[in-house]
This record gives sequence, structure tokens and C-alpha cells, in this order.
Amino acid sequence: MSGPWITGAGVLCATAAGVEDFARALRAGTSGIGRRSVDGDHPELRPLLSADLPGFDLSGATADREEPLRRAAARDAGRSPRSVQASVAVALEGWERAGLHRAGVPGERIGIVVAGHNLGGRFAEEVRPRYLSSPVHLPARYPLQFMDTDHVGTVSQLLGLTGEGYTVGGASASGNVALINAARLVESGAADVCLVLGALTDLSDMERQAFYNLGAMAGGQATEPEQAIRPFDAAHGGFVPGQGAACLVLESAASAKRRGAAPWAGLEGYAMRLSGNGLADPSAADEADVMSRALRHAGLVPGRIDYVNAHGTGSPLGDETELTALRALFGHGGPWVNSTKGLIGHCLCAAGVVEAVATVLQMRDGFVHANANLVTPIGTGGRLVGTRSQPAAIGHAMSNGFGFGGFNTSVVLGRPDTF
Amino acid sequence: MSDAVLTAIRSSVLVVLPEIEPEQVTEEVSLTDLGANSIDRVDVVTMTMDTLGISLSVTEFTDVHDIGSLARLLRRHTP
Repeated sequence: MSGPWITGAGVLCATAAGVEDFARALRAGTSGIGRRSVDGDHPELRPLLSADLPGFDLSGATADREEPLRRAAARDAGRSPRSVQASVAVALEGWERAGLHRAGVPGERIGIVVAGHNLGGRFAEEVRPRYLSSPVHLPARYPLQFMDTDHVGTVSQLLGLTGEGYTVGGASASGNVALINAARLVESGAADVCLVLGALTDLSDMERQAFYNLGAMAGGQATEPEQAIRPFDAAHGGFVPGQGAACLVLESAASAKRRGAAPWAGLEGYAMRLSGNGLADPSAADEADVMSRALRHAGLVPGRIDYVNAHGTGSPLGDETELTALRALFGHGGPWVNSTKGLIGHCLCAAGVVEAVATVLQMRDGFVHANANLVTPIGTGGRLVGTRSQPAAIGHAMSNGFGFGGFNTSVVLGRPDTF
Repeated sequence: MSDAVLTAIRSSVLVVLPEIEPEQVTEEVSLTDLGANSIDRVDVVTMTMDTLGISLSVTEFTDVHDIGSLARLLRRHTP
């Protein structure tokens, strides 16, 4: 394998703060889906379901981190929007778990790629009343904060990163788009280490309503929140948004060996293709094509893949399209398939990075997590995990990300003993 | 000396620069002396104006060089 190693990770989502917590929650099949309260008219026409972070604050989210970085985080991001604070928390976890707080990798050899765009919708909604009542008193930091690049600036300042850095966008495929960009930075020699941050998409109420009106979001007016999201189940009715952020540390094998860092996994291959289609209209042919290209890039035949972390949002059209694509590539049977979104919601721009972390943890610990609420699988074929996690030896895995606007992405990960 | 304007400036400074002790915020020092960068300075001024119910253009602050001159300008415009 010539691709970069993954030498660290961090995560924050509705069911877990930190990677070990996440591994436990995935194995237990813990659901983070809950019901929100809404103000205003017609509550029956409002999106009520969400997998929100439980009581997030920066100080609590960095409680396990070491000084002096913990104090520096409070100073640099203490008044930042929640989305940026979540990036800081997962970046610090990934940084520490990779051992970079002790390693002497020069800042100019470390890059940062942030997955996401339109990250601060709720924050903008919060600031807007101030603008309407008194424009002069807008928070002085708002021009820095409304730009998604604030994630790059804040985290690079905190960790002293002076290599290349930027944000990338690909709607719900943003996480994989960032992984692919970071892999290329490392493979080209532009960086020895690259932090990939899946940034928390902090949806405004208006943005939630827009998804809901489109019919993309599960309603769940009459159901229990935890049962409303049903990827690959006949009763699936759309996605439930989740608040989540994650960090993966990509590093060249040479750099990791120099400092004695062990790989958690390898990024063995990847592919990205557009559908040439600006709509929310997935294509099974394009999805199968991008998975097939990612496999070829990894130098693997389909039979070598043991597990697929599906995009699997719970949207009827999306689920059926992806399962068709999986059958086209792998035939009937084939690798285990599950959707992390059934447990922690759809983390939107962060989803690809959060799910890559979920994939690496399942690979490391030898299990596949449950498909929440999978009672009546749609169609046949595709080896869907049931409603309980089960032991599984995963040597090579694939993680898919598809986005509105025709973004198709797939990445292939390998367990360290396979390369 | 202590008055509503200085008290408001002090509270803003403590929010923007949490490592500063209240007694360090005197009329004799500048925000830069206290470790404020350019954005921090606008932050302090905006928050203080908000607290005092004052609306001034940023161009009014060109002659401000320390907390004393900031306090004098704000006192002139305090309703």
C-alpha cells in the first residue's frame, strides 16, 4: 500500500465524546436521535428530529486534553461559534492520539483540510437580531466567524500549523472530498502530516425546515425519535440531521516511521466523480463506477472488501440507489453493509470523516455495528447487518459519501496487518 | 478613578482577554499593552458601546491611543 497512514483520530457526536466512547457506542448500537422543541405555528409541519450533541461546551469537550493546549484552546476559541469549538475539540483529540503533541514534526510540514461549507447557519441566525436592532454593535469577530475558513485559521493557530490549509466542499460528500485532498497533499510530498477535520454543520432552523419541506428529512411526528431513522428498511422516510465533528490524522509512512507512530489504518484508495447533475438525484451507475474506481486505485478486487460503511441516509431513493450500486459491484452476498447515520444522524459535511473514524474503529475492534431499525430490508442482496452488532474480521473496508449536486465519492481503508 | 464608562470598558476587556486581572485595566495603559490585537480592540470597543447604549462610527476612534482617551471619548457620548 502506498497511500497515507491514519495515525490518529478524534470524534464528537450525539452518542460519544472521543473515539473510545464512540467505539463503545457503536458496538452497543446506542441511538443519539432525539426530539427538538420548536416555536411558532404548525408544529406538525416542522422538523422535530435531530441527533444533537448533548450539552456541548468547549471546556467539557477538551477536559481530557493536556496542557498547555487545553488552556490555549480556551483562549483562542472560547468565544468561537459552536461549530469551530467542535473542530478544536476533535482536532486536539486527534493531535494527542497521534502523539503529535510530543513529536517534533515541523509546523510547516503539517497541512489541514477542513471538510465543509455553510457551517454556521445557526450562528448567523443567532447574530441576525443584533444586526436588525443595532447594526453598529455586531460582534467585532463576526466577519472572521461567518467564514468557514475560521476553522482553518483557529485550529492552525492553536496547533502551530503552517503548511497548506483550506476548506473543501462537496455537500454530504464533503468528508470524503477532504480525505481525498489531504491524501493528495501527503502523497505529493506537500505535507508529511495532514489533519482532516469534518466540521460540525450547525444548521439553522430555516435550513432544517428547507430540507424538511423538500421531503428529504424524516418526520417522525407519530413515532418514537429513535425509530424514525431507518436506513435500508422498507419504512425509511428520510434522513435525520446529526451534530458531529471528527478528525483524522493522515501521515506519510516515512514520517510515521521516523517518529515511531503506529498506523491505525491505511487510506488505500479513493475516487471522486461528479454526476453532472445539480439536483438531489443519485445515480446507481455513477455510484457503482466511483466505488469501482476507488477499488482499482487501491489495487483490490471487489471480493477483498469485507465491509462497506454506506452513505445510507434513510432516504428511500438514496438507499435504493446505493443498494443497487452495491449489488452491481459486489453481487449478492458480498461485504457487510451498515449505515452509521442510523445511530448518530446525518452529520452532513462532517459525515464522511465521522464515518471513516467509525470504519477504522470497527476494523480495529473486529465488529460491524447495527443497522438501526432494519426490520424489513429493501430488496434482496447486500449483506446488511441486522439490528445488533456482530463480530466481523475486516481487512479492507469501503466508505461511501454522496452529495446533493452530483458528488460521488468512495474511499478504501485497510487494517495495518494487510499492508 | 472609577465610573460607569471605565467599569464597562473593564468588563469588556475581561471578556475579550480572559487572562487579564481587573486591576490591570487602568486609564494609563493601552489595549495593546494588555495584549489585545486589532480585532480584540474593535471587540472591546463594540461591546463597551453596546453596554453603554452608544453608537459611534469606527472613524471616531482614530485618536484613541489608550484606555484613558477611549474613556473620555465614550463619556462625551454617554446618553
